[in-house]
Amino acid sequence: MIVKDVVCPFCGCLCDDIEVEVEENRVVAVANACELGTKKLMGEKRMKNPILRDGGTWKDITYDEAIQYTADMLLSAERPLLYGWSGTHGEAQCVGVHMAELVRGVIDNTSSVCHGPSILAIQEVGHPGCTLGVVKNRADLVIYWGANPIDAHPRHLSRYTRYAEGFFLENAFRDRKVIVVDVRRTETANIADEFVQIKPGGDYAVLSALRAIVRGKTEMIPRTVAGVTREQLVRVVDLCKGAKFGAVYFGLGLTMTGGKYKNIRNAIELVSELSRHTKFTISAMRGHYNVYGSNEVNTWMTGYPFGIDFSRGIAFYNPGETTAVDILARKECDAALIVGSDPAAHFPRRCLEHLADIPVVQLDPYPNATTAFCNVQIPVAVTGIDAVGTAYRMDGVPIRTRRVLSTGYPSDEEVLIRMYALMQGAKA
Amino acid sequence: MTFLMITGRTVNQGVTVENKTSAAYAAETSTCFMHEFDMLELGLADNDAVRVTGPCGEVVMRAVASPEVGMGTIFVPYGPYANHIIAAGTHSTGMPDFKSHEVALEPTDEEPKTVHELMEDLGGLAYDR
Repeated sequence: MIVKDVVCPFCGCLCDDIEVEVEENRVVAVANACELGTKKLMGEKRMKNPILRDGGTWKDITYDEAIQYTADMLLSAERPLLYGWSGTHGEAQCVGVHMAELVRGVIDNTSSVCHGPSILAIQEVGHPGCTLGVVKNRADLVIYWGANPIDAHPRHLSRYTRYAEGFFLENAFRDRKVIVVDVRRTETANIADEFVQIKPGGDYAVLSALRAIVRGKTEMIPRTVAGVTREQLVRVVDLCKGAKFGAVYFGLGLTMTGGKYKNIRNAIELVSELSRHTKFTISAMRGHYNVYGSNEVNTWMTGYPFGIDFSRGIAFYNPGETTAVDILARKECDAALIVGSDPAAHFPRRCLEHLADIPVVQLDPYPNATTAFCNVQIPVAVTGIDAVGTAYRMDGVPIRTRRVLSTGYPSDEEVLIRMYALMQGAKA
Repeated sequence: MTFLMITGRTVNQGVTVENKTSAAYAAETSTCFMHEFDMLELGLADNDAVRVTGPCGEVVMRAVASPEVGMGTIFVPYGPYANHIIAAGTHSTGMPDFKSHEVALEPTDEEPKTVHELMEDLGGLAYDR
C-alpha cells in the first residue's frame, strides 16, 4: 500500500509531499523525502517494552509500572526538570506543561540549545518573518547565514529557494540569487552565487559593517572585516538593495558562537535597515520537526517559549538560570523526565554527570545515549509514523502529521495523560 | 597545537541520529574534520587517531582531511564525542559555546571509545550493547 502526502517528522521543513510504501505493517520504501527523512521513516530497532535499571542490569517492566514510577518520581522531587519536547507533537507538549505546573518543576525544550538565543533576540527587536511559501514565490535573493541546509535541511533548497519554481519569478533558477555566509566552505557554499567566508567569531562585525554600508557609511569600513573584503561587503549590499524581495535564513552558526543572541539581533536590525530600501525578511532554520511547536505551545500556555520555572507557583523565565544545561550543570534538579530528545548526546559532559546522579525517566522509541542514564525508559510511538499529532513548521505553520503504521505503541500524549492523571489523583 | 573547535550537523550524523548506539553514528560523531596542512603539521594521515583536549577533559577522535575546514579550525559533527570536552557555561543565555571552543590536538595510539563507553565513563549503564 502506498500512503501519499505523508508529513516527514525529521526537520523543521516538515515536508508534506512524502510517499511511503507500507507492506505487512513495515515501511519498505519512501519517495520524495531526503536521506534524513527516509532513514527516519524506515527506522527500525525500536525498544520493545519499558525497561527499568536494576543496579547493574536492565529488566523489562510493564507500561503500568513505568507510568506509576514516573508519577511517583515527579511527585516526590523537589525540583524536577521536564526536558526535551521538540521530538513530539503539540498535544503531548500541552500535557507536559500541565505536569510541570502541578509539581512546580522546570520545563525546558531543546530550543535552549539551538535557537533559544534567536528567540531572545526576537524578544528584543521583533521578527520580520514570513512563511516559506512567500519566499518560494517571491524572493529573488536568499541569504543563508551560518546555516548549511544541504546537510541539515536538505529539501529547503529544492522546495523553497535555489531549485524551486516561483510564481512571481519568470525563471526562478536564473532570477533568484543565493548568498551563503559561513566560516566553512560547506556544500551549500558551493551552490551559492556569492560565498562570504567569515573568520570564526566575526559574524557580529560583518553584520555591523553591512548595516553601515546600507546606511551609506562605506568610507568608514576598513579594508577587511573579519576576513571579508570591503569590496565583497559592498557587492553583497548592492545585491540586497537591488533585490525586489530578500529573505535571510540563519542557522546555529549565529546562535552558538560568541555574542549568541546579539548576533541575531544585529542580523534582524540589518533586515530592518534593508527594508527601508526594499522588502526583506529573516527567519531561523529550525532543527527538530516540532521545536517551533514547543515554543508555540509553551508560549500560549505560560507566556514564555522555553526554560519555564514553576517553583514559585507561577511561570518564571530567565534563560541562563531556568534552562536545562544550567540547571543540570549546577546540579540543581533532583529528577528528570526526558521526552522527545537525547540530552546525553547533545549536552556537555558536566550535565550528564548530574543525570547519572538523579532518577531519570525517558520517553523515546529507540535506545539512545540518554538510555544509559535512565532509571526507566518508556518506548512510545513515533509521531508521523505510528502516531498522529500537530507539529509546527519552521515558519510557524501548524501541520497535522499522519499515521502510516499501526503498532501497539502508545503515543507520547497517551502515556503523559496517564501519568498526569495519577499525579492529579495523588495531589487531590 | 591549538585549534578552534566548531560542531555542527552533517548528513551522516542526521541519518544515524535515531540509532545512536550504532557504529556508524559513533564513527561520524567521532570524526575530527581538519585542514590537510594542519594534519601534515601534526603528522596525521586520514583516519589516524587524535587526542582532542578541551576545557573539561579529553576524547579520542579520528582525523579526516576536509576541504571545507580552514587552517586552525576543526569541525566535529554534533554528538557525544564533542560534548565530552565542551564546557557547560552558557553566559546567561542557556546556550553553551558549541562553536567556539579552543582545543589542543595531538596524535595518539589509543582508539576512540564507543558511545556506550563514553556514557559509562560518566556514570551511565549501557543498554543494548
